[in-house]
Amino acid sequence: MAATNKGKTAKPAKVVAFSVNGKAVELQIGSEPHQVESSHTLAHTLRETLGLVGTKITCDNGACGSCTVLIDGKAILSCMTLTVECQGKSVMTIEGLADPVSGRLDPLQQSFIDHTAFQCGFCTPGMIMSAKALLGENAAPTEDEVKEALSGNFCRCISHYHVVKAVLAAAPGGSE
Amino acid sequence: MKPFLHLNAQTVAQAVKSLVKFEGRARLNAGGTDLFGLLKDEFLPEYPEAIINLKSVAGLNYLKQSKGILRIGALAKLCDIAESPLIKERYGALAEAAHAVASPQLRNVATIGGNLCQDVRCCYYRYPRHLGGPISCARKGNGPCLAVRGDNRNHAIMEGRKCFAVCPSDTAVALAAFDARLVVVGPAGERRIAVRDFYHPLGNALERDEIVKEIEVPALAGRARQSFLKFTLRRPIDFAVVSVAALIVVENGVCCEARIALGAVAPGVIRATAAEEYLKGRAIDVESAAQAGELALAGARPLPKNAYKLEIVKTLVKRGVLGLPLETAGEGDAGGPCPHGNPERG
Repeated sequence: MAATNKGKTAKPAKVVAFSVNGKAVELQIGSEPHQVESSHTLAHTLRETLGLVGTKITCDNGACGSCTVLIDGKAILSCMTLTVECQGKSVMTIEGLADPVSGRLDPLQQSFIDHTAFQCGFCTPGMIMSAKALLGENAAPTEDEVKEALSGNFCRCISHYHVVKAVLAAAPGGSE
Repeated sequence: MKPFLHLNAQTVAQAVKSLVKFEGRARLNAGGTDLFGLLKDEFLPEYPEAIINLKSVAGLNYLKQSKGILRIGALAKLCDIAESPLIKERYGALAEAAHAVASPQLRNVATIGGNLCQDVRCCYYRYPRHLGGPISCARKGNGPCLAVRGDNRNHAIMEGRKCFAVCPSDTAVALAAFDARLVVVGPAGERRIAVRDFYHPLGNALERDEIVKEIEVPALAGRARQSFLKFTLRRPIDFAVVSVAALIVVENGVCCEARIALGAVAPGVIRATAAEEYLKGRAIDVESAAQAGELALAGARPLPKNAYKLEIVKTLVKRGVLGLPLETAGEGDAGGPCPHGNPERG
C-alpha cells in the first residue's frame, strides 16, 4: 500500500503484485487484452491469465467451494476475491502442492488417490485446498473438525465419506 | 463481472469522501461476499461505477474491551469473532452467530460490518440479469412486492411493509440481544444507531455516504446464559429460516433479565419484549419457556406460505430460553426427556 493521500479521495492502483505457489507475479491493471481488469476475480485470473486451470469454477457465487485456494495459509474462495485486492498476498493453488523438483505428490493428494476420494473429480481441488488449510492449522484433527473444515465444499457425487477418511489418513497426527 | 473503477481507501474519511464524490454510484467492498452477488447477477437496475475497497484501511479489524464495552472494528472478520477467546467467554451468543454464517472459506474473508449491511436474499429482488432479470419490486422502488402473492416461504411473518424480505444477518440477531450500537461515519460526522433500529422494510438506516465504522457491545450485567440458535434447511452455507438469540440472567432461582431477539422473521431484528417481560421474576422451566415462545409471536401475521415459521419461532425461543441445543428431541412435551432432570425418568 503506497500513496497515503489523507483527506483526498481514494486512488486506483496500476499494478498488482503477489505470489502464486511461491512464484512472484506482477500484473498490470487495465482493460487492454494483456492486462487484468479490476473486475476480474482471482479464480478468473488464475485460470485465464496464469493458465492454472486446476482451480475450478462451478457456481461462481461463493456457494460451492470448488474454487478454494489458500491466501496466506487460509482457505478462501477465489471466485469471491478480486485479483486487484491480492496485492502482497501469497496464493497457493492445487498446482503448488506437489514437490516442484521431484513431482512427488503432497500426502493429501496421495491420500485422496489411495482412498478413491472422488468420482468426477471436479470438486476435488477445492476439497484438497480446504483440507490443506485445516492440516496447516491443526495437524491432528478429529473427524468432526475435518467435517467442519470441509463444510464449505460441496460434492454432487457424494464423495464426502471417502474425503473425510482420506483427510484423516493424511493428517500427520491423525488416527487412521 | 462488468468493469468498474477500483479504489483503495486508506482511511475511513477517504472512503466517505469517495462515496460523496460518486454521488451514490459507488459501492463499498469489505469481504465482498455479498457485493459480488450483486455485481455478478446485476439484479439492481444500475451497475456501480466504482468499488471502494475498505480492506486497505489499516487497523479497523480490532476486538477490544474497555470500560465494560466491547468494541469491534467493522472490518473484523467473522472467523476471528467466532474464535476470539474474549468474545467466546463473555459474548458467547455473538461467537456462535458469527460461526453460524456461511462456510469456513466465507468466514475467512467476511467482515462483521458487511454481515450487518448485507442486502436481503429475496428471490425476486435478487433475480439475476442472465436469467431475464432484474425484476421490478417495491424494494427497488418500482413495483409491488411479488412475494406477497408468490413464493413467500422465506419472507417476513411480522412487520413487513411494502417489502417483505427478511434481514439475513446472523450477527445482527446476537448483537440486538446485547443492545449493541453501530458507530456510523458520514460527511456530517459520527452517529450511533442501535442494531435493533438499523433495519427498515426497504433498506437500512445508513444515509447514502455513510459507513459503519465500529460496533459497540455493552456488557450484560451479571452472568447471562447465552444461546444462539439458527434453523436452516442445510447446515453450512445457508441463511436462517428462523434464528433466535437468548440471554437469560438467573438470580436466586428466578430470571432477573431476559433478552430474546428473533432473526429472519421480519425486515429487522425483532426483540420479543412481551416474552422478555413475562420471564422476569419467574423461574425458568419448560412451562415458562414455552409461554415465552408463544409471547414472542406477538404481532405475527404470516403470509400464505410461511406460517410454518411460527412453530419454529416458538420452539427455538423455548430451547434458547432453556439453554438447549438446536437439535433437541421434544423437551418436556409428551413425556420427552426433561432438561432439568425429570425425577420420574431419572
